[in-house]
Amino acid sequence: MSAAVHAHPESGPVLGVAGPAKNLRVLSEAGHRGQWWRFVAILAITAIVLVPIMVTVVLAFTPGPTSTAKGLTFENLANVFSGTLAATWLQNSLITTLATVTVSVAVAAPAGYVLSRGRSKAVSGYSLLLFVMQSLPIITSVVPLFILFAGMGLVDNLLGITIIYVGSTMTVATWMMAAYFDSIPISLEEASWIDGCSVFGSFTKVVLRNSLPGILSTAIFAFLLAWNDYLVAIVFLRSNEIFTLPMGVQSFFQQNATDWTSVMALAVVMMLPPVIVFATLNKYFSVGGIGGSLAGR
Amino acid sequence: MALTTAQSGLSRARRGVAPGGPGGPANRKSKLSAQTSRTFFWLLLPSVILLVLIHGYPLIHAGVQATHDGSLIQTGNFVGGENFATVLSSPAFWKAAQFTLMFTIVGVFGSWLVGLGLALLLRTKIPAGGTFKVLLLLPWVVPIVVSSTAWNWLVATPDSLIPSLFRNLGLGTPLFLADPNLAAITVMVFKVWVSFPFMMMMISAALASVDTTVYEAASMDGATRWQQFSQITLPLIARSTYISWILMTIFCVNDFPTIYLLTGGGPVSATTSLVVLAYRTVFQDFATGPGVAIAFLMTMTLVVISVLLYRQIRKSSVE
Repeated sequence: MSAAVHAHPESGPVLGVAGPAKNLRVLSEAGHRGQWWRFVAILAITAIVLVPIMVTVVLAFTPGPTSTAKGLTFENLANVFSGTLAATWLQNSLITTLATVTVSVAVAAPAGYVLSRGRSKAVSGYSLLLFVMQSLPIITSVVPLFILFAGMGLVDNLLGITIIYVGSTMTVATWMMAAYFDSIPISLEEASWIDGCSVFGSFTKVVLRNSLPGILSTAIFAFLLAWNDYLVAIVFLRSNEIFTLPMGVQSFFQQNATDWTSVMALAVVMMLPPVIVFATLNKYFSVGGIGGSLAGR
Repeated sequence: MALTTAQSGLSRARRGVAPGGPGGPANRKSKLSAQTSRTFFWLLLPSVILLVLIHGYPLIHAGVQATHDGSLIQTGNFVGGENFATVLSSPAFWKAAQFTLMFTIVGVFGSWLVGLGLALLLRTKIPAGGTFKVLLLLPWVVPIVVSSTAWNWLVATPDSLIPSLFRNLGLGTPLFLADPNLAAITVMVFKVWVSFPFMMMMISAALASVDTTVYEAASMDGATRWQQFSQITLPLIARSTYISWILMTIFCVNDFPTIYLLTGGGPVSATTSLVVLAYRTVFQDFATGPGVAIAFLMTMTLVVISVLLYRQIRKSSVE
């Protein structure tokens, strides 16, 4: 361990959550003694943390102010899809996100392979460059790109934002793929070279074939970024029918700030895909994506 | 020692790390034939093209815009450092810088403390532990547009749920988004709520690589809980903590939607961070030069931070 141990910050902010000071006492394997206490604590914290999400779901299925329905209802969802451009927004979001995920992985996997196996000044320089680029504020690139894209007809256009999403996910995605390839022993490739396989052949047939978990976690990362982005969308998307879901939800919220049930119905539609992806694939989700790949390299 | 990311299946099957970098035996060089270099070049090319188009060109162009008095339509005339002078002498810039600093400090340490507490709680076997782990990640997974809408419903008006709750408890009616100080606190709490799962995952992964017998040995030697924590746990998670602090710093400084969607930077610019200020300067006040100059100043700061982080990561992967 070469890293200096940082002193425990004593002046942490006071938050409305059970402070960790209490939790610090529960550290070792204390058997069953503290089990129930821990269970109750976690239950309480989880309940508090999930309030905003529960509120969204409950309101989405509660009859609205003008409704005659009793109990839970799908009315709001039906209204949103019939009365707004929700279906178009959903479609736009799906198209851009799927395109971003596909292209990001297709670009990042080969580049990550070079980062993982390459051994030259150029490769390590490129690795640093990618790393620095991912930490820069998108706003810096957004203004020049806006001018560039305006000349090419790519403003207010799904292809335009997809290109930017691929560009901004690619840096981290490449690092993530490289971290995964690091964990694949090179002896497998060496064996295939002896059998007369080319470098490219061993990459596709040997390495990629064994990299599904790495590809999945990279894909999830790209999916979350493209699905959730707001900054690029607010700058580049101008007309209602080109909006992606974040812009749609936001515009709908501004126009119908009193009709909470409909707003929340649309919010639930937007929330569902990431939550489903996460619930089914969370074991592939390496520690916060980027964090995992960085801590791992 | 390399930290494993145990829960992800990315456990690093390293067999003897060659000095100078991750992975692979030292006889790699012999394989670096002309064919390999050629293949590597083609494998890297798409990535390089994208990097130049989406990151390289805009950075250079931003440099041009920051030193010209142009607009979104034309470049304008060269004005040297005038935009930077304008920015650095405007109180709004310093106010935004101050808020960004506070927002980042609270965001980083707040989410780290909450994440640490939860990672430690979830460390031992508790009923339904796996379910809690997934549920607690939700704030980080749910799109900001959705969670900011929910938070708005909870706190925006005097009649919202949480202000009403305060009122019924006889604590007055806090105006969470209308009072400048309260709005700043609310945005920071929101940021912590969004970010702690990331920290929890980082710390959990680091803790998973710790052999629990160490603790048993320590308690036999009469170490107190606190000593076990400060002498064993903290040093073991120190490196990933350091990395996650810097990462979270980058996330917080660059954060736009968390702030913009909850408060719009208001009331009266009380929650305007540098990114929000840059966005408004360019796209609402149409002052492209000064706006890009703000983004440029941020960029320089972040380059320094990320190079520091990179060196730390590189250094520790050779342990």
